[in-house]
Amino acid sequence: MIERFVSVIGQAAMVLLFSPLIAGLGKALKARLQTRRGPGVLQPYRDLYKLLRKGMVIPDTASWIFPLTPFVLFSTTLLAGLLIPAVSAQAPLSLFGGVLAVVYLLALGRFFLALGGLDAGTPFGGLGSSREMTISAIAEPALMLAVFTVALGAGSTNLSSMAKAAVGQSWHFLAPSQMLAFAALFIVLIAETGRIPVDNPATHLELTMIHEAMILEYSGPYLALIEWSAAMKQMVLMTLLINVFFPYGLSADASPLGMTVSILLFAAKLAALASAVVLVETANAKLRLFRVPELLAVAFVLSALALISTFLFGSRG
Amino acid sequence: MTWERILDGGAGLFAGPRDFRAAEVYVNLPGADAREASAYLRSEGCRHVAVFAEDRVAEEARDYLYYVFEHREDPRYLLLRASIDPAYAAFPSMAAEVPALNWQEREIQDWFGIEATGHPNPRRVALHDNWPDVHPLRKDFAIDTVLPPFEGEQHIYRPTLGEGVFQIPVGPVHAGIIEPGHFSFAVAGEPILYLQLRMFYVHKGIEKRFEHLSPAHAVFLAESVSGDSGFSHGTAFCQALERIAGVEIPESARWMRTILLELERIYNHTADIGAIATDVGFVIASAHASRLREQVMAVNEALSGSRLLRAVVCPGGIRRAWTRAQLDDALDQLARFAPDFDRLIDLIETSDSTRDRLERTGTLHPDRARDLGIVGVGGRASGNDLDVRRDHPYAAYGKLNVEVPVYREGDVLRRMLVRVDEVRHSLRLIREAAAHMEFAPCRAPLPPLPEDGFGLGVVEGWRGEILYWVRTGPGNRIARCKVKDPSLNNWPAMVEAVKGNIVPDFPVINKSFNLSYSGTDR
Repeated sequence: MIERFVSVIGQAAMVLLFSPLIAGLGKALKARLQTRRGPGVLQPYRDLYKLLRKGMVIPDTASWIFPLTPFVLFSTTLLAGLLIPAVSAQAPLSLFGGVLAVVYLLALGRFFLALGGLDAGTPFGGLGSSREMTISAIAEPALMLAVFTVALGAGSTNLSSMAKAAVGQSWHFLAPSQMLAFAALFIVLIAETGRIPVDNPATHLELTMIHEAMILEYSGPYLALIEWSAAMKQMVLMTLLINVFFPYGLSADASPLGMTVSILLFAAKLAALASAVVLVETANAKLRLFRVPELLAVAFVLSALALISTFLFGSRG
Repeated sequence: MTWERILDGGAGLFAGPRDFRAAEVYVNLPGADAREASAYLRSEGCRHVAVFAEDRVAEEARDYLYYVFEHREDPRYLLLRASIDPAYAAFPSMAAEVPALNWQEREIQDWFGIEATGHPNPRRVALHDNWPDVHPLRKDFAIDTVLPPFEGEQHIYRPTLGEGVFQIPVGPVHAGIIEPGHFSFAVAGEPILYLQLRMFYVHKGIEKRFEHLSPAHAVFLAESVSGDSGFSHGTAFCQALERIAGVEIPESARWMRTILLELERIYNHTADIGAIATDVGFVIASAHASRLREQVMAVNEALSGSRLLRAVVCPGGIRRAWTRAQLDDALDQLARFAPDFDRLIDLIETSDSTRDRLERTGTLHPDRARDLGIVGVGGRASGNDLDVRRDHPYAAYGKLNVEVPVYREGDVLRRMLVRVDEVRHSLRLIREAAAHMEFAPCRAPLPPLPEDGFGLGVVEGWRGEILYWVRTGPGNRIARCKVKDPSLNNWPAMVEAVKGNIVPDFPVINKSFNLSYSGTDR
């Protein structure tokens, strides 16, 4: 019981404290690739600190949904972060259906964010919400199918069981079903975290925004919660990708040595995945909005193929 | 000579003496109606460049309208002068036949109170609703008049109707450091049904301010009409003064002006190429473009002491001469810039995702471009083969071979390619001009201006055709200065180019035209 408590606290602290660092790392790397000096990797922390101390402007038209949204978003994202195995194969918490709970906790947060965008009553918020829902309507099935591919191999949708099954296996990433599912999830990761080529988090052009358009009216501590949630969501999705496809080094027990190795490897894998995302962002222009569904359809087809090949060739190739 | 032939062919349409000058031809109309003469001139292949008014009630008890025409085969401009009786203060509108005149005729209504009868859309354009019924460019309106607070009717937009059709108002205050303009989109989902523009939020009364200024002072005002075209605007104004005073600028100043005009084109085009990349999220290209723009700004500073080429041009030439070492150093820097620029373009052109965003986005059909009289980059991307440097040479362009890139597709990609071609071409022009340069005095003294002189100065700025028409008054002062920035013609092109595009593509379409708010609003 104590152990469970410690792991919940530990992982919550890790998700809360380290997610801004991953965001900062991505921004710093992006700046280097553009031959800019850029802000330091700690900038997201400074931004959060700044926002948390600021006053807020709340639109006159806003209802109770507007102030509720940041809290719903923050708590659902943090809870999702507790449902996935990060440094230990055993996730701190396990709720109904494992991976399904993760997907739908994130979806609940997004639902409220879209409502919050509409609630402010500005045209940009409405544009952002409509775009976000269009994209998630296609991204979500792709995510589900890809996750099912892996779950089929593990024989469970419980993430801890999936990770444990994967740790026990020899190298199987080259299995067609795994490769296809990974590619699909990578595309979903980019779409869900609002990265180029799907969305441009750095733009100032309201008319082109998706995620940023929904939160234009938020300021101060509410904005801090939303920005923090976005960083956590990115970390949660990256962790999911890492530990489902590259679980090597994931500690099966809680021995000090095993945990140390596991933490170091986890950090290295996160950094590598974040760099891959930044490379994609730098090498591409943003897609025309109407092409984004095409990209996500590709992810969907890839995950459908992954699922089919699981039945044809087995999940271990 | 083309104008002589054309004018003789339409003898019955014109009245009074004709005034043939080195760069302009002045012809009078018998009355206020220019429609027949305009139709004749257009049938002869002439293009309406501008129309503007002048209050001469105190001197001649008349108001005048000047219709400016150009013809590809004659380096001179034709100014057709229509005389208006102030008691009737009206002229027949031509905006229906020549849509390019739409805003300009309405400016005359707002500023002079001369009615454009039969105008299809006679609402105010230059003065907003918070202006009472005054006409500030009339001579009897004192520049220091303080107007009482006034609340007029609201500007009425075309209503946004239909099931699932929404209105998206954007601006006048925008994100980023740009000037104010209001865009009202009617959208069905993401596709744009139509766009309505509202400009003139930064109308500063610059044309009024010119009046009573001394020429030396007025140059600074001309330079600040549109900040990124300061040198072009200043040069156009100086050319008008030099023609009035009958001053020939030294040969070396001609070459220097050519070099500086091309530098202004290069730094702005490079910035625009980067801005287009920014707006499609191709960040690496925009980062390199800002680096490259900075290199050109450094050349500007080394040559002229001003990164934005301010306070460099003066009536009679150029303020300060260069040394050979200065120019050679600038050429060296540009020689290093050229391959770097090629690499940037290669980066953009080989990026499929970028090309996909630019091609067939924001298409302006050549017919629309011709009707609206679109000039400059936007015009050349849509088949309007116009370039003042080639057709009406000034500075030293007459001695150089000016190539004009023209595309017909009229999309964002082509507007970018026009800029790419022009930068490469400008680099060549600068090299050629530098080879001809003599390091001699570059400033001729400007004698006091005649009491009642008038003259035209036209420059192909990097945005397009910049026109100044100046009349001088007693005491070496400016009596009237007409300023026409190319943006004034080109804003309506945006309305046509965005139709059917989706909302998130609007910023890149806007950026591909990159029009000046300040230059439009004056």
